[in-house]
Amino acid sequence: MGRLETKKIGLESEGHFHFLKRPRSEILALFLALFWLIFITLLHFYISYSESAPKRELLRIGFLPITCHLLLPVTLKRDNYLKTRIDPIKYSSWPDMIESLKGGELDAALILAPIALSLQEEGVPVKIALLGHREGTGLVVSLKSHIKRAGDFIGKTVAIPIRFSTQNLTLLKYLKENGVSPDSLNIVELPPPDMPSAMASGSIDAYIVGEPYATQGEFTQKGRIFLRSRDFWPNFISSILVVRDDAINKKRELINSLIKGLYLQARWVEKNRTSAAIITANFFGLPEGLIRAVLEKKEVFYRDLIPQKDEFIQIGKMMKRYGLIKEVPPCRLYLEWLK
Amino acid sequence: MRRFSFLWAFLFLILLWEGIKLGLKIPEYMLPSPQRVLSALLSMLVSGELLKNTVASLFRVTWGFYLAVFTAIPIGLFLGRNLLAMKAFTPIINFLRPISPLAWIPIALMWFGIGDKPAIFLIFLASFFPMLVFTMSAVTNIKPIYFRVAKNFGLKGRDLYLKVILPAALPEILVGVRITLGTAWLVIVAAEMIAVKSGLGYLIIDARNSLRMDKVIAGMIVIGIVGLILDIFIRQIERFPSVEWSQMRR
Repeated sequence: MGRLETKKIGLESEGHFHFLKRPRSEILALFLALFWLIFITLLHFYISYSESAPKRELLRIGFLPITCHLLLPVTLKRDNYLKTRIDPIKYSSWPDMIESLKGGELDAALILAPIALSLQEEGVPVKIALLGHREGTGLVVSLKSHIKRAGDFIGKTVAIPIRFSTQNLTLLKYLKENGVSPDSLNIVELPPPDMPSAMASGSIDAYIVGEPYATQGEFTQKGRIFLRSRDFWPNFISSILVVRDDAINKKRELINSLIKGLYLQARWVEKNRTSAAIITANFFGLPEGLIRAVLEKKEVFYRDLIPQKDEFIQIGKMMKRYGLIKEVPPCRLYLEWLK
Repeated sequence: MRRFSFLWAFLFLILLWEGIKLGLKIPEYMLPSPQRVLSALLSMLVSGELLKNTVASLFRVTWGFYLAVFTAIPIGLFLGRNLLAMKAFTPIINFLRPISPLAWIPIALMWFGIGDKPAIFLIFLASFFPMLVFTMSAVTNIKPIYFRVAKNFGLKGRDLYLKVILPAALPEILVGVRITLGTAWLVIVAAEMIAVKSGLGYLIIDARNSLRMDKVIAGMIVIGIVGLILDIFIRQIERFPSVEWSQMRR
């Protein structure tokens, strides 16, 4: 017993000596930590500095990998002037892109028309420059849900991309015109890429979304397109190009050539749907077969892209009716302002 | 044989995965097969995609974590010694601590724009508060006798911090460093799910947007492996004389 205690005391005193002498190991560790910091920083900048560094002189455009935004990859591929003057920034969700746009990180963005209107209502200085496409939205219902009429939606779970979307407005309008109260079903917001798998797993009964995720729902053989935008809302608008006022002041020439470039490429896309699909699939990293199906079936159109004020006022009025905004915003259009 | 027992466990996991997939007839888009994931992993390794994204993630974690450690430790040492200041700030710390770094994403995007900075900021937030709490409690746990002895020797100010408080609190602080690093690595995926063009979190979100579940799982596997390696390295902290000393004391 006595011996044990002595040993304990011995260890403890040894320990005290250790920390008074300031052991070497910690110093070594600090050096290693510092070396690691320098090493990983240099390596990171060596590998991906050119990509991560913001290029202020270029026009920074935010987009999402959806066929609504197809004109951007096509233009980047085919327009030699714009190719080197645009810095495309890929986002994975609408809210992230909206925050970047608000913060002034982006000069322009491809966003949903109702988002643009709500930004204008909030006072964010953006102007509507061009439409991204027309049509190209589908309400997909699960085969298991046996939805055949509007009334069948009661009590079902339906996913929308974001409440500020013409998809949501379409759904609400459809329900209302068929005498179904939106409160009688469960509407949830879900990122578009998750929708087909959420329906396959049975957690949602239906979803309304832009292409290619509506066609993807049919590809999984778990759902079918119940309603297409063109059957219900002629010349349907979803994604549009908006530009910030400060970018208009600084880079007006570039913005003008961008609008012109996108407009010209849209005409090319209409005639060369297959080639456009291949370019887009490669750029977005989406399955080529899916994008080709969407374009070749003519689910989406790239014509009549000049924004018309009355169309936006109509969307604004609908947003106000469904309580998404308080006042119909001014619907500032870039081309109109330019005149 | 015994040394490689973990390999058998991994093999078992993969067989279980394959078995469940075949048994329940789960389609590829819900759960890809191990072979698909392995081939995605290999193709990303060959293309250099994996190296680039892993380096980017490690870079952000390193900076966020270092910034947190080198600010939280001095602040924690100071607060731990000043009871009044600690009493005043503890409610604020405990108020900010449970706010998930995910909740800061909108703010991070608006303040720091896009690129490395918002991700580093989120990692910093995730590591700063745990580190601060570990340091503060390490200081308050120092036996009063140390301070009495220090007083007898006339130690004050800087000397008191460097010669008594820091060495005495170091064992607990280093344990905190180890746990915090785990947390920091945990947050990287979330931090990179916002507007960056590289990193393992980006890899996963991008693969998801391209409907490539095999790449998603491959990304998850890489995150696990890197986390494992980080833990093996940081465990070496326990071998420091100062930490061993404290364990012997118990």
